[in-house]
Amino acid sequence: MNDAIRMQLSAYVDGELPHNEAEMLLRRVSQDVELRQEVAEFLALGRVMRGEAGVAGVDRLHDRVLAAIDNRPGGDSVAEDDASAPSAIKPLVRVVVVASVALAAIFGLQQTTPVADVVSTEPVATIVEVVPGFSRQQDQLRQYFLSHEETSSQMGANGLYLRLVTLRFSDPPREQNESDTESDIVDETVTRP
Amino acid sequence: MRFGQRHIIAGLVFALGSLCSAASPVTDIGPGEWLNRMGAAVKASSYEGTVIRIQDGKVEVLKVVHTVQDGVILEKVVAQEGNGLEIIRIGNEVHCILPDRKSVLVEQWDHQATLFSTLPSSEIRFGSEYDVAIVRNERVAGRETLLLAIRPHDGYRYGHRIWLDTETSFPLRTQLIDADGTTIEEVKFAEITLNQEIHASALAPSISIENFTWVTQTASHSSPEIETAWASSELPAGFRAVSTHEEQMAGSDDTVTHILYSDGLANVSVFITAGSGKMSEGAAHVGGSNSYSVEIDGHEITAIGEVPAMTVKHIATTMQRP
Repeated sequence: MNDAIRMQLSAYVDGELPHNEAEMLLRRVSQDVELRQEVAEFLALGRVMRGEAGVAGVDRLHDRVLAAIDNRPGGDSVAEDDASAPSAIKPLVRVVVVASVALAAIFGLQQTTPVADVVSTEPVATIVEVVPGFSRQQDQLRQYFLSHEETSSQMGANGLYLRLVTLRFSDPPREQNESDTESDIVDETVTRP
Repeated sequence: MRFGQRHIIAGLVFALGSLCSAASPVTDIGPGEWLNRMGAAVKASSYEGTVIRIQDGKVEVLKVVHTVQDGVILEKVVAQEGNGLEIIRIGNEVHCILPDRKSVLVEQWDHQATLFSTLPSSEIRFGSEYDVAIVRNERVAGRETLLLAIRPHDGYRYGHRIWLDTETSFPLRTQLIDADGTTIEEVKFAEITLNQEIHASALAPSISIENFTWVTQTASHSSPEIETAWASSELPAGFRAVSTHEEQMAGSDDTVTHILYSDGLANVSVFITAGSGKMSEGAAHVGGSNSYSVEIDGHEITAIGEVPAMTVKHIATTMQRP
């Protein structure tokens, strides 16, 4: 990434880039995988420099949605988890649930779980048969997240944060370091007023 | 970083913010009123722009369009990378266009929440667990904004920073803040057009979907409110149970009891189901949300919420039946 693009990006992130230049920058970034990665790293570096380094570990929307929808190798089949669905619609159940995740990914809202009506003129099994990376427990956890978000949203509370929280559902949730968590709790117990 | 250090940093940040507020009064309107105005602006504003979302060091760019016509919410969101996922909302009907799959998923939404939701308008929203302060003026997306900070009193919940457009009160930038001041998530407009006419073409699909397969999913419905003997024996200050339902998860015959705890701003759900013997205890993390699962009295307990990890663990492990 050259300095000109870096300066453009800084201006863009700060909201100072003119509309037409922003369009060109976006188009360029969207068409250049390598540049996109460099941009992400540049922005991440900026966060570190500002002391805003966050938690590592998850992929971007594109990868998540692809991972959820594509039949990528290496994943566990979850068809056996759809015990309550008629066998003919099991794959579609998964498609719909996964696509719901995609919706939630964008809007931060979600419509989840039961799939009662199916309207399709195409053989649905050709869309997707396996969602990779989900164990039974991960799938359950994903549904819990979605249900939590839907319920919270309907409560009208905490809307600021609920809008985009579920992006990560196509990735297995990151296991946390138990000792770190334990340490926090111990500290909190001691110091909390 | 240990909690004591976090407290020191949080204290310094708070003190600095207070000094800034005291030194440069930026508005005659109180923070509560600004938040009320924000709520109204989010519901009524039309906007078209580019949103940058930064979380876990990753960056996403979304094109968004939003307007309300005759009380009907119209929205469109297009991912600027990957497979061109496109989502269009017309009132309660939502179309998710998956170009690479030549498919359109149709869902029914039965609530009015929008891309940029607002804070609850109830006076109980912050209780005594948060402070709300006006910090300073800043520019975002080329517009003058007012930075509001919502700061929790303890480490059981996250803080928020909100940059409100001073002209329209629309939130142009938001951050979710951890106890040590780390930004967990940031959403900001890189450029935005506010309250100008949105043409119908801006809300139409960007690609032809003529030969796409359409898949329809009905709206989900919550079960009626139920009573349960399960409760946390030691809820963090300010949290209370606000709803309890039974749910059936997709692909499972198991019934799950779902209790929602809230402090008015942060929410934690607790899911309780009969033990299967297959659950592994422990914590997981999704963005700013954390979960903790534990088995108690032959039941699987999972607490989930957009709160720190220690909060969900604390609530999950203190669930009990009398």
